[in-house]
Amino acid sequence: MIQLLRIELYKIFKRPRTYISFVIAAAITFVIQLAMITDGKTFMNFAMQGINEQFEIQGNIINGYFVTHIILQSLLVHIPLLVALVAGDSLAGEANQGTLRLLLTKPISRSKLVFVKFLSSFIYTVILIIWLAIVSLLLSILIFGKGDMINLKSETFIIILKNDVLWRYMAAFAFAVLAMTTIASMAMLLSAFADNSIGPIISTMGIVVVLAILSNLEIPLFNYIKPYLFTTHMIGWKGFFDDPVPLGAIGRSAMVLVCYTTGFIACTIFYFNRKDITS
Amino acid sequence: MRKLWGVLLFCFGTLPVFAGDANELFYLLRARVLLVKDYTADVKMKINVTYMRVPQLSGTLYFKSPDKMRLERHGGLSIFPKKNTNLTLGNLIPDGKVIVLDMGYAEKAGKKLRILKIVPEDDQSNIVITKLWVDEANLLILHTESTTRNDGTVTMDLEFGNYIPYALPDKVTIFMDVKDYKLPNGLAMDYNDELDIAEKAKKEKATKGTIQITYLKYTINTGLDDDLFK
Repeated sequence: MIQLLRIELYKIFKRPRTYISFVIAAAITFVIQLAMITDGKTFMNFAMQGINEQFEIQGNIINGYFVTHIILQSLLVHIPLLVALVAGDSLAGEANQGTLRLLLTKPISRSKLVFVKFLSSFIYTVILIIWLAIVSLLLSILIFGKGDMINLKSETFIIILKNDVLWRYMAAFAFAVLAMTTIASMAMLLSAFADNSIGPIISTMGIVVVLAILSNLEIPLFNYIKPYLFTTHMIGWKGFFDDPVPLGAIGRSAMVLVCYTTGFIACTIFYFNRKDITS
Repeated sequence: MRKLWGVLLFCFGTLPVFAGDANELFYLLRARVLLVKDYTADVKMKINVTYMRVPQLSGTLYFKSPDKMRLERHGGLSIFPKKNTNLTLGNLIPDGKVIVLDMGYAEKAGKKLRILKIVPEDDQSNIVITKLWVDEANLLILHTESTTRNDGTVTMDLEFGNYIPYALPDKVTIFMDVKDYKLPNGLAMDYNDELDIAEKAKKEKATKGTIQITYLKYTINTGLDDDLFK
């Protein structure tokens, strides 16, 4: 099993396109950091105009913690794409290259193969999120410094003291791993259906974009289905920046994501075990 | 100069019960408040505004008469109401010529207080009218209610203890009108709005906010530089 995992990780990390994800994550982060350096005040004035009418806030508002929050919020759609690039390729890529049939001639069960491929995608996701934490949080702190963090919700203005922020980011990144693992498992399921990796990657992105729009639309009709969409729960990391932290809601979101992940993996194993491998 | 301060503080510190007319009382109070030209104070600030969740903020408050104020939080953020609704008593007592109306006496927190209504003669003043609840025995203002031109009504409760000779309070509670705050959900992308929904009913009715400042230690009239407030 460990040997198999090593081989799968080797396959992932020997491909140059794997590193494109890390470059893209860094590039998006740099662009947002640059925007905050050059035009952060205008953004803050716009976002806080309701507050600024009545209150005067002094101090380093655009600090590293605040900028990281903006970066993470902006990456809601982008990071799933980067995860799908690898997970969507895991089975379909092998089929496309004609190595899947050969792989299955080895004395390993199909279930085990799916599980190991999922595990390797999970490890890739963890590394990607750690990279994101380094370039967004660490670099933002270096550029903008530390300070009390402002969290702007639609009807609430929250200030978190600077010595109370770091653990929230650790928890938020851990939650992001969980959310992205759900995306990886869905991309793997779609990958099992296809014989080339473009289809699963685009389908994953399509599903994420459509469901994310549904999750954010304020239309009563969609309010009934929102709690069941995984995209509604993917932003559970934001709960750690609330006051008080809604642990119950975050726990429920985590459970929903775990259920989706388990369901996707189970479906992948079920389908892949019955699939007629012709390539 | 020190002798003059000593005499003034002695006079105010041991002031007998005041029984003069309202005009005289007001000008005496104003002169006493204006005795403090600047101060530095260790403070704790608690903001209670319905749409704000802000923890208790500790820091050093710098004040320079008449209206310069700054809270230094050693790298942290500080929040103040907009300048016009300053947190100082001096700012809520109109300057220049005023009309003083004696409104009689009222009981407040077990004390008999004299009420003065002050109307500035300057019609450009931000303060339209101020009501002061005065403890004549100690020559202290314990409660104010000011209607301002731009910032609604500001009410202030003052508690005195260690710095009575300077008429500096140990604790100030400011009650102010607050407007609604709303950010488009597309920008905020809220995750969990259970707390907000639970508080929404309260919020819709609540139009008042309070800011409570506890002064732990004052350093008075040290000649603070204007640059400190830039």
